Amino acid sequence: MHDIYNFVSGPLVWVSFIIFFGGILYRLISMAVLAKKKDVIVYEYMSLQYGLRSILHWIIPFGTVKWQKNPIFTIVTFTFHICLIFIPIFLFAHIILWKESWDISWWYISDIAADVLTIVVIASCIFFLVRRIVLPDVKYLTSISDYVILGIVAAPFITGFWTYHQWPGFRIMGIIHILSGEIMLAAIPFTRLSHMIFFPFTRGYMGSEFGAVRHAKDW
Amino acid sequence: MEKRTVMVYIVITLLVFSFAVISGFSQEDVSTIQDSAFKEKMRPPVRFLHDEHNETALIEECNTCHHVYEEGEKAEDESSEDMECSECHALDDGKNPMSLVKIYHVRCKRCHQEKKAGPVMCGECHVK
Repeated sequence: MHDIYNFVSGPLVWVSFIIFFGGILYRLISMAVLAKKKDVIVYEYMSLQYGLRSILHWIIPFGTVKWQKNPIFTIVTFTFHICLIFIPIFLFAHIILWKESWDISWWYISDIAADVLTIVVIASCIFFLVRRIVLPDVKYLTSISDYVILGIVAAPFITGFWTYHQWPGFRIMGIIHILSGEIMLAAIPFTRLSHMIFFPFTRGYMGSEFGAVRHAKDW
Repeated sequence: MEKRTVMVYIVITLLVFSFAVISGFSQEDVSTIQDSAFKEKMRPPVRFLHDEHNETALIEECNTCHHVYEEGEKAEDESSEDMECSECHALDDGKNPMSLVKIYHVRCKRCHQEKKAGPVMCGECHVK
């Protein structure tokens, strides 16, 4: 058990962070090169002003017609995305690990808050799962990989919750928790989770084309 | 009150008292890690059987854990078992407990990781 713990909490953390940051760089550069070769028009029309204007509307809850038409989805998706990034960064149990390894620490949320927000994330994942199964248009666009990705995202939160509450088998669950977090980090650049890095560009380009060419809103 | 009744009461009181004293002594070794510098408890206290731990871990020198550092060097002949860790390991900014949490974790967990024995995960020490 010590060997496994030392391995997943040591070298594998390095591996996952290197894949995460290296992967982001690689995907950004290779996409930029590909666009230059096959779709050079993207560079012609990309506009900072119209791009940012569109991004701003889309990152504000109910800031677009789509968000307004689907209020429940809007609330769930915004809460989910904020919690997804917020919880792991400001969790006391994570910060103490940073403190032990790098002697750095920052503000943290209470364990009760973390508990509640984690339940929100897990519930959101169930919502997304049901949505994919129930809504015909979403179901049509869903492939197996979408379920796998949803599982990858939900796993660290379910296992973390389990470990924190010291439910039966929490030692194994703790190992799986660390491992699942590392899998998620490594998966971000190379799956549809890459919308994390590409959304400013896809949204920015849409905004640019709609703003500068069609003189229309895209929100 | 009858003399006999009084005697019974006295005996019962003595029995209860001696039980409390004996159980108090017999649990001397059963304790939790405490440090008065920790004000807000984020996790349950760590149960620690001092003598049993040191027998299992084959620790003979007090200053393996209760060390004293002078000018960055560990003083081999000195130990600090009469002190709280926080007397030397001061809190960041005088109030942030993170640095103190860290030194406790480094003392216990890192040794366990190196020796590949003993608890290393949060819930193994901070048992709910």
